Amino acid sequence: MNALTQILYVAFLLSCPLSIFGQGFQVNFQGQKQQGMGCAGTALYTDASTLFYNPGAAAFANKSEINLATTPIFAHVHYTDSATQLSYNTENPVGTPFSAYGLYRFKKRLEPLSVGLAVYTPFGSTVQWEPNWIGRFALTRLSLKAIFIQPTFSYRISERLGIGGGFVLSSGSVNLQKDIPVQDSLGNYGHAELAGKAIGFGYNLGVLFHFDSRFSVGLTYRSKVSMAVSDGQASFTVPNSLAPNFPNGSFSAALPLPSVLTLGFSYDVSEKWKLVLDINHVNWKTYDTLAFDYAQNTSSLSDTKSARNYKSIFAFRGGASYTPNKHLVFRAGGGFGFTPVQAGFVTPETPDANRCYGTIGFSYCCNTHFSVDASFYATKLTRTDRNLETQLNGTFRTVALAPGISLNYKW
Amino acid sequence: MKTLHYIGFIVFCGLAFLSCKQKEQVPLPTKGELDLTNVIYIGDGQMGGYMNDGLNKVSQGNSLAYILATQMELIGANPTNFPFLNTASIGISTNGLAPMHLGYKTDCKGISSLSPLRDALIGDQSCLSQNIYQAAHPFDVFGIPGLKSNQFTNANLSATNGFFHRMSSSTTASMMNELMSRNASFFQLYIGLEDVLDYAKSGGTHENLPSELEFQQNYEQLLFNLTLNGAKGVIATIPDVSQMPYFTTIPWNGLSLDDVNAATLNSIYNPLGYYFQTGANPFMIVDSTANMFAVRQIQSNELLLLSLPLDSVKCNQMGVLFPIRDEFVLDIEELNLLRSKISLYNTIIRNLAQQYHLALVNTDQFITNLSDGFVYNGVNMSAKFVSGGAYSLDGIYLNPRGNALFANEFIKAINLTYHSTIPQVNALKYDGIRFP
Repeated sequence: MNALTQILYVAFLLSCPLSIFGQGFQVNFQGQKQQGMGCAGTALYTDASTLFYNPGAAAFANKSEINLATTPIFAHVHYTDSATQLSYNTENPVGTPFSAYGLYRFKKRLEPLSVGLAVYTPFGSTVQWEPNWIGRFALTRLSLKAIFIQPTFSYRISERLGIGGGFVLSSGSVNLQKDIPVQDSLGNYGHAELAGKAIGFGYNLGVLFHFDSRFSVGLTYRSKVSMAVSDGQASFTVPNSLAPNFPNGSFSAALPLPSVLTLGFSYDVSEKWKLVLDINHVNWKTYDTLAFDYAQNTSSLSDTKSARNYKSIFAFRGGASYTPNKHLVFRAGGGFGFTPVQAGFVTPETPDANRCYGTIGFSYCCNTHFSVDASFYATKLTRTDRNLETQLNGTFRTVALAPGISLNYKW
Repeated sequence: MKTLHYIGFIVFCGLAFLSCKQKEQVPLPTKGELDLTNVIYIGDGQMGGYMNDGLNKVSQGNSLAYILATQMELIGANPTNFPFLNTASIGISTNGLAPMHLGYKTDCKGISSLSPLRDALIGDQSCLSQNIYQAAHPFDVFGIPGLKSNQFTNANLSATNGFFHRMSSSTTASMMNELMSRNASFFQLYIGLEDVLDYAKSGGTHENLPSELEFQQNYEQLLFNLTLNGAKGVIATIPDVSQMPYFTTIPWNGLSLDDVNAATLNSIYNPLGYYFQTGANPFMIVDSTANMFAVRQIQSNELLLLSLPLDSVKCNQMGVLFPIRDEFVLDIEELNLLRSKISLYNTIIRNLAQQYHLALVNTDQFITNLSDGFVYNGVNMSAKFVSGGAYSLDGIYLNPRGNALFANEFIKAINLTYHSTIPQVNALKYDGIRFP
């Protein structure tokens, strides 16, 4: 049993109930090295992806860097209706979150200053249920896409303390579809599609403090970003006689991505071993209601306000890295997060539950400029609930796997 | 080289994860204490598939009996033999009319709107005259439109009810004879609706609500005979039919008046003590006890029936200068009688269910729930005419989706009493109302 085997073993144990989306509909894949260690790394400078994880830590970059990564998500949800004992599956397309980071470290008089640009996708999942599934009148498809662009400044106040901050501009789109329970003369059901573009703003602040050469603490605050759809397009397919009741037209809606406060620790056990721990507080309480406001209301089409009643949660992420030689790093980790979704509010778009997950990863440095990272994330969760609004009553079983890879270049 | 091994191992583990599919994790349907040797279905049109004021093969395939039989087969019941009408037949109503669909109708004012229309000028009489009984393949489903609880021992039923005539073993066999010959091990019975419908649909003019004693004796005789061989079963209470769209669709205050008409009516009716205003007003109805003119305004707790000729209301002063006749109105006295009788019958049914150790469906609660409205898997269900999604176009009998929801009530009751795990049906797989 060498160290590597032990790490892998731990990783698979952590993958207890192994399985994807972050909590809620967040996607927490913004850096391969952190993903390898249970998605923790706030108290660490890893590479240019630190611009996301902790803009303060980015002040400790030794070199300028570019980092490009993608983490395809294979997520599958299996729903068993409790009354009929019938099962239905999602047919989700592969999610493709990506990230691109560029970090420039100034020299000479401006030496403590680094600037960077981070581009990443903290939403980015599509849930597609199989045709004619029992919840078709609640949801058939939900696609959320958003790109966050974050220009960032980092400043090293001393050899021990770095601070940083970035402004976040987000641009995205939402597409929500469901069937309407009215039938035409052939028995076909109606269908609704709500599509729109959304923009939002926010910021990302961080500080990193080295207690000594081995122990560091990081604190970050990523603000809430409200993705507001102001001029979405609602299209309805209904029998001709009901068309006046379902006028196509515009709608507005908003979906919040909550603020996240993170306290992170890192500790170098030895030359070869490093441990990291992140504690997140995610302010999901902000996701109180999902409201759709239609420009034109009729007796059949009124504005909707669906209670979501998310609660704020803590999540714990931890991991370790092992560096056997200068070319290689192995990583393993895992995490636990409480679900923000309370009983009675589980929906087919986010069949969320308390979750454990496990991750593994490695890096390979080809030379002083170029390196490759890879990671693998797995989780599995089960949630049984009766939704108060739709009365959908059954069990969602989610499995999600996400292998990721990134390329780094530094100079 | 060692590095490559590590990487290879990780990739292998990843692929192993990716390749694993989720397995079905559902309990198997089980029959519990049920004896499924011979399952039969007994009732009126609601059991047999009567809907949109008619019966045809499509409606039979969406009947309460058909949906229940489908689920019973999941726990091992034998295939069910239905007295299907011919596929080509348009079907027929209890009055000889064709079933209805939703279409456009132009009223006396030339305004076209969605309305139930007959599929044809007359129903298919021939389908009732032909007897399809085969001794080798006796029927399992006795859902006879119009059947009342006092008709089970009637040896002349075949002569008066074509729906029974077409499937009976002989012209002199009673329903009881047919049922006893089936030697059922389990029966599903829903009877009593027609006992009260006649009175309700006639606006209280057919004063033929059975006495409690008569109802008790007929119902008990039926259960006594059905359980002689030790058979088990499920029975169901009778709903308050006044909650059905046939009685709730036309508003009591649907008389819309402008200033001039309100003034005219005030000059006519003020001496009698009735007043009208601009906007919504109560219709005028016949009431022999009201005054010397036997006319009064309808009260908010009284009901107008769907049989009301709307063209006469819209264009010929019905409900205004010509009061609405008794046959189109359930006044408060009639409603009180109807509801108290139904309540008494239901007490009898509940007691019999206990006495004979049978499962009990609280149809009255189910129909009240529909009347209040509820959400089923993201769909609003209610007792609203057409848009409510559960009643057929006749406003009384359930449509396929309503039958599926009702069948789920039977399934829940059976599972509760006999410790079976019959799966419920997904009611949304069954049609609501089809729109043009």
